[in-house]
Amino acid sequence: MAWLSRPLTLVGLVILAHGCYSAHEHTVLSSTSVQHPTSPSATSLPLDIYIETIAATVLICLGLVLGSGAPQPIQWHTWAGKIEREGDAGSGDADKETLGNPFNALEARSGFININKLHKDFVKYQQLGK
Amino acid sequence: MSEQELQINPIVQDSVAHNTKTLTNLHSLTASLFGVGAGILGLESYYGFLFYIAFSITTSVLFYIFQLAPSSLAEGRGVLDSGRYYKGALELWTSGIFNGLPGFILTWTLFYGLVRA
Repeated sequence: MAWLSRPLTLVGLVILAHGCYSAHEHTVLSSTSVQHPTSPSATSLPLDIYIETIAATVLICLGLVLGSGAPQPIQWHTWAGKIEREGDAGSGDADKETLGNPFNALEARSGFININKLHKDFVKYQQLGK
Repeated sequence: MSEQELQINPIVQDSVAHNTKTLTNLHSLTASLFGVGAGILGLESYYGFLFYIAFSITTSVLFYIFQLAPSSLAEGRGVLDSGRYYKGALELWTSGIFNGLPGFILTWTLFYGLVRA
């Protein structure tokens, strides 16, 4: 659904710009025309500009909603379960704002170092060299 | 929520901040857009604010439908229950109205002046 976001927003912006231009032209024309100086239609916009503007607003709104990042669960057990199931990379690949597993460093750390064994190996290595 | 409940069901503060930021960003953007719409339509006084409140609530509903509802309903929560992502219901439904109001008035007056000049 997220791929729809930008096309919808762009189309809505174009329609909104057209509606803005139409409204402006209508105001200019009706203020300069001398045929109906006192008619109420001179001040109110035609119905199609209303429809166009409101449709464009809803379109852009829909596009922005689809483009906003997915929210994260706030309950700890829900959130941790989601990370367990969907891996550490976060839920979405599109937005980098999703929080990965905060315990990655603990999960991927190396094991304990056995100093005694390392020392024995080193002693063996030294004896081999002699 | 009592202290005991918070101990049993802890809350992820990062997620709370992330969700609030997402919602605030969305409402700031859309509020400016609604200002453009209201200015083009040449709305005045109460009608402008009614326009804004109606569309702001519509935005919240759309946000719920497209972003919250799929996983929230799958979890077994009721319709319009935002408890999975927000601490209080009011945070989702009405906080956006006050966040975006200055931006709305700004673009409303600007476009009203541009179109009706």
